[in-house]
Amino acid sequence: MTSTAQDLHPAPVLEPGRTILELQGLEKKYPGTHALKPVTLAFKAGEIHAIVGENGAGKSTLIKLLTGVMPRTSGEVIWEGKPAALATPHEAMALGINAVHQEVVLCRHLTVAANMFLGEENSRFGILQQRAMVKEAQKIIDDLGFDLPAHVVLGDLTIGQQQLIAAARATVRGTKFLIFDEPTAYLTRKEADQLFTLIRRLKSEGVTIIYISHRMEEVFELADRVSVLRDGTLVGTRNIAETNDAELVKLMINRSIEQIYHKEHFTPGAAIIETKSLSGKGFENVSMAVRAGEIVGLYGLIGAGRSEFVTTVYGRHRKSAGQILWEGKDVQINSEHDAIRLGMALAPESRRDQGLCLNLPVGFNLNLPIYKRISNNLLISGVQEKTQADRQIADLRIKTPTRNALASSLSGGNQQKIVIGKWLAHGAKLFIFDEPTVGVDVGTKAEIYRLFSALLSKGAGIILISSYLPEVYELADTLHVFRRGKLVATHGFRTADHEEILTQALAEKQEKLGGQI
Amino acid sequence: MSTEAIPAEKPKRNYNALFGLTLLALLVLLWVILSVATSSFASANNISNLLRQGSMIAILAVGQTFVIITGGIDLSVGAVVGFATVIAAMLINAGIPVFLAILITLLVGVAIGLFHGFGIVKMGLPPFIITLATLTSLRGIGLLMTNGNSISINNDAFQVFSRNSFLGVPNLFWMVILVGIPAYVFLHHSRWGRYLFSVGSNAEASRLSGVNVQRTIYMAYTLSGLCAAFVGVLLASRIGIGNPTQAEGWELQAIASSVIGGTSLFGAVGSVHGPLLGAFILATINNGANLLNVNAFWQRIITGVLIIVIVYFDGLRRRGGK
Repeated sequence: MTSTAQDLHPAPVLEPGRTILELQGLEKKYPGTHALKPVTLAFKAGEIHAIVGENGAGKSTLIKLLTGVMPRTSGEVIWEGKPAALATPHEAMALGINAVHQEVVLCRHLTVAANMFLGEENSRFGILQQRAMVKEAQKIIDDLGFDLPAHVVLGDLTIGQQQLIAAARATVRGTKFLIFDEPTAYLTRKEADQLFTLIRRLKSEGVTIIYISHRMEEVFELADRVSVLRDGTLVGTRNIAETNDAELVKLMINRSIEQIYHKEHFTPGAAIIETKSLSGKGFENVSMAVRAGEIVGLYGLIGAGRSEFVTTVYGRHRKSAGQILWEGKDVQINSEHDAIRLGMALAPESRRDQGLCLNLPVGFNLNLPIYKRISNNLLISGVQEKTQADRQIADLRIKTPTRNALASSLSGGNQQKIVIGKWLAHGAKLFIFDEPTVGVDVGTKAEIYRLFSALLSKGAGIILISSYLPEVYELADTLHVFRRGKLVATHGFRTADHEEILTQALAEKQEKLGGQI
Repeated sequence: MSTEAIPAEKPKRNYNALFGLTLLALLVLLWVILSVATSSFASANNISNLLRQGSMIAILAVGQTFVIITGGIDLSVGAVVGFATVIAAMLINAGIPVFLAILITLLVGVAIGLFHGFGIVKMGLPPFIITLATLTSLRGIGLLMTNGNSISINNDAFQVFSRNSFLGVPNLFWMVILVGIPAYVFLHHSRWGRYLFSVGSNAEASRLSGVNVQRTIYMAYTLSGLCAAFVGVLLASRIGIGNPTQAEGWELQAIASSVIGGTSLFGAVGSVHGPLLGAFILATINNGANLLNVNAFWQRIITGVLIIVIVYFDGLRRRGGK
């Protein structure tokens, strides 16, 4: 450890193992919702404490209370032996409580260094000491082992790299208690490893970490203890050594793990789409087919060409060579519009940027692809608009007060159901799901997978893109592995093991995979 | 934000309708106060006058609202009005039948709107920039065409129209109804209206859902240009001249009416009735201030303060539910 890091993290006043933060009957009620039922829990100094639970289980509420974003309804928070009000974010930060959020909340147009020191700029006589700040920031970044420049504009980095910067930023302010909220949702494996190194290092310096994640393997990799929330109730805290996957999942959802990957096999029908030696920006010479009733999984690292391949098929980008056959006929797909007209549907990777009109109602979002069908030449049928939306909400079990609630007011899992569900009424034949379960909890995942089966049973075909191997492994009838823009291997349902697939996806060692996208 | 639920919100009420009602209440309140405070406000003559004053901005505001809902802005509408008066005047004076002259003028408005769409969609220019460019250059083109002079229109029938009434209501106000009803149906009951909202909310998500985003943008600016050209025809009829420098600053009044009417400049929020009410609230304030002998300079200040107050309370109400 270098001296800089020492300066940045003043030695903790508490020796490891003592209680640093204690919740006594902490409770939060909103009008109509009991978001967090009285929680009593003690965090030990220098531990990594994972918190898991489904969407809506109360994790975010807990974070908001701890970081002073919202006031609690009742209960006590004891910080280092003294009651703390935690009424404002400022107070929480002054105590040394910080959070790194799933979505990066930094200024994309400023440089990395400017972001690192935002609000605590180094200036002399009112003039910013830019060079000194860049140097200082670079030192911190290097010191943390991130291979990133401090002088570039933040927006030029990948989301994953921005996340690392956000984490680095949170560590330089006398932080004693750091909350990570789903930090790896958008990270590549390499970036995630860097983040884990950072987290372990903070722990060794006595910082207490709360780690929130949907990914069980990360919880087991990192955490010392794990607490499970379900419906706003703390249902258990375990030492990581004394528990396992199955137990945690059971606690979270009251359901066993085999029930999550719900896989039904259908006899594949005729090919819906076929590509022959298709090439385009970011991929080349890909030949594959999707038949009615099957799930074709595309696995590979981010930047391996999977997303580029499907967006080209979907008409977003022009192909440079090769052929696309739709139901046996050669077709030209020049726009998304063409693709949709043929009968394709794409649920994109980023629901906030690409999937939803957040400030419009749920019903509106669900009906968006079918407005043409539920209107005559001039007018929309108000009755159909209502019944279609209500039926989708019921079928998909979307948790929303009414179809008129704004999409932004729903939880991530329910938003994802809208992104997927809006295509059901449309009656597409080929569904493309790009990372459909990122940032979605186990329960919603299971529902989404069940939806897949429902689609297949109606004769649809599915292309499933995922960076999460168990997902494609357990669901795909045909699994294609992508590496550096090429289709390098093809497997049947569970015909290869994880190791083999991983090796094929990685092959030439991990070069700078994180920086590509 | 994590993926967790923000507390289940109360069912979202139809704020548009509600806001429309409170605006209507504000308008009625202003009318009651002015009727009591001045002897002349409630006269048939003055009311007709007020309706005439508000009508043209109201129509502009409707077109403007379409554009703002997509997340854009149309700064050119005032200049289009002035330019349209010139076109209409020249055509009528050239002996072209009035209906044909009006049609051609409207087509010019459509062409200007298409040009805006082209600039935004094909050239990638921000709406603010392309419409700002048209704002200045259209006035210039008009001045070139007229050599800087006003063109008197020699057609009495054309001019009489805007002064006459039908069933006791000024013809100009009938024009608001003529525009308003189709606009309402279009925005709130047709899929193209829905697409305006969806593009304003998230263009990428709309595209992926099969909405033709480019066409939607073309449509919004074309409708705004059409409304502006129509207002140009009405203005030419009302004052009987074609002059490219007329309607100076009307774009700002149209935007103000739209915003007072509950339209969000960030897009995806707006209605047709809101801007109409907004336009007549502004007209009432100006009319009332005149009757009360308030200094014309003060009228501008009052208008500015009112915009802040109304939009502030609107924002409070929207946030109030959370």
